[in-house]
Amino acid sequence: MDSKEFIANVRRSLGREEGSQVTPSEATHMSLSSQQVESWAQAITRGIEAHADEYMGQLEKTAVEAGWRVARCATAAQAASHIRNIVRDVEATSVLHSAHPALEALHLGETLIGTGANLEAMVLNDTSDREVQRDALRQKAINADIGITGVDYAIAETGTAVLLARKGVSRVVSLLPPVHIAVVEKGQVLPSLDELFTLRRKEFLHNNLGSYMNLISGPSRSADIEYQLVTGVHGPGEVHMVLIG
Amino acid sequence: MQPRIKQFPQLAAAALKDEQIQNNLLGLYNGFHQARIAASEATPNWDELSDRGRAIKAHTIDNLDYYLEMVERTVTAAGGKVFFAKDSDEATQYVIEVAKARGVKLAIKGKSMVSEEMGLNHRLEEAGIEPVETDLGEYIIQLADETPFHIIAPAIHKSKEQVSDLFQEKLGTPPMTEISDLAAEARRQLRKKFIEADMGITGANFVVAETGTVALVTNEGNGRMSTSMPKLHIAITGMEKVLPSIEDLGIMLRLLIRSATGQRISSYVTTVTGPRKSDDEDGPEEFHLVLVDNGRSKLLADPALRESLYCIRCGACLNACPVYRKVGGHAYGWVYPGPIGAIVSPMLTGLSDGKDLPYASSLCGACKEACPVKINIPRMLLYMRHQLAEGDNYPEHKTAPLGEAITFKLWRLSLSNSLSLKIFSGLARLLQKPFAKDGRINKLPPPLSAWTNLRTFPALASRPFRKRWKS
Repeated sequence: MDSKEFIANVRRSLGREEGSQVTPSEATHMSLSSQQVESWAQAITRGIEAHADEYMGQLEKTAVEAGWRVARCATAAQAASHIRNIVRDVEATSVLHSAHPALEALHLGETLIGTGANLEAMVLNDTSDREVQRDALRQKAINADIGITGVDYAIAETGTAVLLARKGVSRVVSLLPPVHIAVVEKGQVLPSLDELFTLRRKEFLHNNLGSYMNLISGPSRSADIEYQLVTGVHGPGEVHMVLIG
Repeated sequence: MQPRIKQFPQLAAAALKDEQIQNNLLGLYNGFHQARIAASEATPNWDELSDRGRAIKAHTIDNLDYYLEMVERTVTAAGGKVFFAKDSDEATQYVIEVAKARGVKLAIKGKSMVSEEMGLNHRLEEAGIEPVETDLGEYIIQLADETPFHIIAPAIHKSKEQVSDLFQEKLGTPPMTEISDLAAEARRQLRKKFIEADMGITGANFVVAETGTVALVTNEGNGRMSTSMPKLHIAITGMEKVLPSIEDLGIMLRLLIRSATGQRISSYVTTVTGPRKSDDEDGPEEFHLVLVDNGRSKLLADPALRESLYCIRCGACLNACPVYRKVGGHAYGWVYPGPIGAIVSPMLTGLSDGKDLPYASSLCGACKEACPVKINIPRMLLYMRHQLAEGDNYPEHKTAPLGEAITFKLWRLSLSNSLSLKIFSGLARLLQKPFAKDGRINKLPPPLSAWTNLRTFPALASRPFRKRWKS
């Protein structure tokens, strides 16, 4: 149906006139001006630094409750050796990772030497046709045993890893392999969902929202048969959250 | 989906006699219902959150034309396409056209109740496109060619033995006794489909007007798969799912998920804004959003029923309802069962056919109490009963038979003053004599037998209270 006609019908059903004003409502965040969003976002950024330890402590607890296997590591070196142990335990032969700054400090290439696992970055380069590369990377993700990602944020309220669309971050590294490892650094943890969405609105106002966002809170699961919980239905059944700091 | 709401009395009676359905319904109560109560109690300021959620929905629905225009603008700006469908047929035709233009042979589906409204799977098959449901529950009922039993847990009426039998018959797998094995088999089967599929079809739990974003809530990852693997993604949802701002999602996600399963958050919440950008590693090349009216504007137009569009489809009112918990989801005869379904199904598919549904409630208020956006369901059910009996808003659907109208006129007369009460109760005392035994009435002749088939009720006392009080 023509959109104008459709919307006109909705308007008629509501008994509203064409061009009638929207009654403002305090209930929705839409009422906040961009200056307000901007100053909130600044306050949030200051808050996550000031309360970094507190939020990390909360996340450690809620992430376990959400079904993550959580390891709190003091240093990047400890985190790297923990990841090496996971790769050995899983007997992985193929490990994929995406491009996150937090992963660089782990020197995954050196870390995994001697584990028998082949490590590859799921990142497009500029040297050849992107579509050809995309097909090849997709096939690698289908066959990979483990996917390692950083996060853009984590959420203390819900035990959530937040992954945003950005260059070098594939949608499927955290989805197709049966094991996912998410690396979280101190200072990335937001207290609740509300702060995340305020920051997202700020990015939107800066024209920087990106094409997707994934909130991941524990393993893929289902209780669709007799309410019995099973994990690893379509996504990973085993998920590790590695906290650094 | 062809509505069978007319058959509610027969379908309900059959479910009451089905021992397995009764068992599984008990599980719904002990599982989802108790989990919801625990989750809402553990959430600080749940009540405040609920009021806020309701206010957001009320504001958006009252100004829906404005926000729909905004959705069209923002989704388009993000590189997607929006199609407004006035009914199921238009929505189905659009999906098929888009699919054919890209030569789609295999479509994978995330969970979408609106696509159930449309009966989309059968229509895709007729068009030569293979649709595969990927939510485990939906996959099971697709194999069984059934309809969802519950909006959150579509196959919850089936035992693991029945699922094993079904897999043997349809997939040729060996018998399995463990639920984890059944789930693993579904993973194997569906993984192949995800890889091959040319198109992903999903619903949308929320559509954010300001940003042109669609939010999907899943636990299995079918929503992520359907929006990551194929080159084409179509999201189909009801036009009432719109929210103004992305910042409103925090409140609405908490209300939805905690009321649906009692989890703090589901395993996955995915937001999608348009197709992939050129720098993205992967993702669909094309994104379409189909917003469906299919009778919803009738609910908008009636101020007494408008709040039924605040519903976020969490299923809490189903689990709380003493009627749903006995008759189950199939008795309601269409996509939306339970208390909210008793309003929505007749209004979307035909009030005269669904005249029994507003009566499938004891008006106990459990649904209203469970609703995370405080929808006053009992009030609307009562309103629909009134309209069906003697209201003027839906004259073509008035169904009260003459006998009933006369009975209630006499009832009103009998209670209108003390003299008429005396006369009528004296008359009733006389008439009940052949049926009363030890102060109970166990059996009445038709048509009154409908009351006494399944229960007895107390006979009128031989001396009225007023007389006893005097002496």
